[in-house]
Amino acid sequence: MFLQLFRYRLKCLLRDRLLIFWTLVFPILLGTFFNMAFMNLNNDEKFEPISAALVTGGGANDAIFEQTVHQMSLGKDRLFNLKTTASKHQADQWLKKGKIKGYFTDGPLIRLYVQETGISQSIMKTFADHYRQNSSAFADIAKANPEAIQKGLLDDLSQQRNSVKEVNTGGAKPNNVLNYFYTLIAMACLYGSFWGNKEVCDTQADLSSRAARLNLAPVHKLKLFLAGCCADLLIIYGEILILLAFLHFILGIDFGTRTGLVLLTAWIGSMLGLTFGTFVSAITRKGENLKFAVLTAVTMAGCFLAGMMIGDMKYLVAEYVPALAWLNPANLLTDAFYSLYYYDSLNRYLINLAMIAVFTIVFGFGTYLMIRRRKYANL
Amino acid sequence: MTIVETQNLVKRYGDLVALDHLSLEVKEGEIFGLLGPNGSGKSTSLNCILSLLSFDKGEVKIFGKTMKPDAYSIKRNIGIVMQNVAVFDELTVYENIDYFCSLYVPDKKQRKQLVDEAIDFVELGEFRKFYPKKLSGGLLRRLNIACGIAHQPKLIILDEPTVAVDPQSRNKILEGIKQLHKQGATIIYTSHYMEEVEQICTQIVIIDKGRVIASGTKEELKAMISMGEKITVETFSISSDQMTALRRLPGVITAEYADERLVIKSEKETNNLAAVLDFFKNESITFGRIYSELPTLNDVFLEITGKQLRD
Ligand SMILES: Nc1ncnc2c1ncn2[C@@H]1O[C@H](COP(=O)(O)OP(=O)(O)OP(=O)(O)O)[C@@H](O)[C@H]1O
Ligand SMILES: [Mg+2]
Repeated sequence: MFLQLFRYRLKCLLRDRLLIFWTLVFPILLGTFFNMAFMNLNNDEKFEPISAALVTGGGANDAIFEQTVHQMSLGKDRLFNLKTTASKHQADQWLKKGKIKGYFTDGPLIRLYVQETGISQSIMKTFADHYRQNSSAFADIAKANPEAIQKGLLDDLSQQRNSVKEVNTGGAKPNNVLNYFYTLIAMACLYGSFWGNKEVCDTQADLSSRAARLNLAPVHKLKLFLAGCCADLLIIYGEILILLAFLHFILGIDFGTRTGLVLLTAWIGSMLGLTFGTFVSAITRKGENLKFAVLTAVTMAGCFLAGMMIGDMKYLVAEYVPALAWLNPANLLTDAFYSLYYYDSLNRYLINLAMIAVFTIVFGFGTYLMIRRRKYANL
Repeated sequence: MTIVETQNLVKRYGDLVALDHLSLEVKEGEIFGLLGPNGSGKSTSLNCILSLLSFDKGEVKIFGKTMKPDAYSIKRNIGIVMQNVAVFDELTVYENIDYFCSLYVPDKKQRKQLVDEAIDFVELGEFRKFYPKKLSGGLLRRLNIACGIAHQPKLIILDEPTVAVDPQSRNKILEGIKQLHKQGATIIYTSHYMEEVEQICTQIVIIDKGRVIASGTKEELKAMISMGEKITVETFSISSDQMTALRRLPGVITAEYADERLVIKSEKETNNLAAVLDFFKNESITFGRIYSELPTLNDVFLEITGKQLRD
């Protein structure tokens, strides 16, 4: 009997084109759109060689440094656009006019002269530091594989910035782009609420004549409801898996290495979406449009605060209204995916997951309280 | 045997008393007509009987047992056709009937036969694969009926199944109901069309404002009122003196003139047609058509409540 109900419900739901659009096609379209937007962003941020100068002096030690800097200034992926001069005065002139970001002088102690601070200057400094720490090995690598050094420097830099951010806000920020896609998954999960809404509308006799009719059948209302919810959950999870596959295999979005946990998160997210929908639908008044509007508005507001439209939003919320970050299901889901990707430790992930579970249970129980009644005062 | 019994049902919506101590008794084998104008409480009473609506007072028994939302053994033997069409837009005609039937008959093989019979019964054979959105209003009503009766219940409750249906479909539906009755089902039928109720119901209850105002067979109901005959004359003019004279004719209860129509109601067994004709001849009043009718349920309703059944 249960299976029969489940199968028919599944059939019913799969034929609801409008809901399939909003819960599956729309997130995929949005993902594609994000991808286009961020592709440009990435291009803009592509590394530009730093205009730098080297003031040559002539010692033996210096020759290796000069050689290394020259190495780093060759090829398409070069680190520097290098000018050389023997005159420190000349280099100062360039620096003042803004023709270069900084210059190195060699000698027993390599010095870096800059006029202001910024990313280019930081890179130059890191470069000099690395050289100083291990000059011979560094020189060898520079000879063999200059790109490795460039990449290593950039990574080092970004990690330095991360560790600083980490202390400030308690949230990592190295890859904003990924966060956008993670909010998108959170949105898709929460849009699963549309299915939950449909389920409640087909269960509560005062919401639709179909439900009224079903209430008159010799089947327990909760049995019908649960069979329906199972079908809903299967569909939501299926849709999220399709979305994940699309993001990963087509758009190349990285979810880290813990695939099992990513899939588990998607499952919990689907449950959250479903119960969120049933709960909102059960507590709001008549009118499917109203319910639809409430669900959409809450989801979008949650995703906004989780950084879907403005990446920094997530960090602002975490910094100034931390409670809101913990009470925003969209943020919890986003952060769960992010934690899986970014942190080695599962602590943060598990806290997110636990919070999501709490929400799911509260929503689920609330739904039960609302729909268990079997007689209606009004139809 | 009593199939459905309600005692002193009271249902309030806020200040509005929708059912006012409504007591009904439906016996086995009846086509029980619940007749009343819009808003008289027909749907409300059915929903209370079916334990879908809570009520403030009273008792409902079906098949001799108290009706409750979880009285599945009772529910299994009831077929319901609600006033609002309740089918799934995402399922085809066949699937819809099969789905609703599956709530009553889990066995697949048995069900297949029942569904096929139901489809034949409402003559939707060529529309099996249609989705409800593609069906006309009348066909949709027929689908709604098939979904309600496919499991061949002992008691069938139909709430205005012919609303907004063309006369041809309506007749089909009425014939179908008679057929179900012949097959042994007890039927409760609500309508605000007195013609339908007169045509098919073996027992009739007229309700208004949630109260029973009359009940019995149609003959009994008509016998209840003083009017026995209604004569209508189409004429262009008649003076007030002549009207007064008409009203003095023996057996005449009322005589009203409006819209070039004169309506004379007479007591039972007066046979006033000849007298009225004589009167017109003597007074030299020209007239068009003239016809005499027996009272309808509308007249019953009118005489008891002072208002038309259909406004
Ligand atoms: N949910 C409700 N809230 C308030 N009043 C209601 C509600 N449902 C029905 N009513 C009122 O109760 C009365 C009876 O309504 P009901 O639907 O039972 O009438 P009905 O005889 O079925 O009419 P119809 O022929 O139009 O179907 C009406 O006055 C109606 O306005
Ligand atoms: Mg009604």
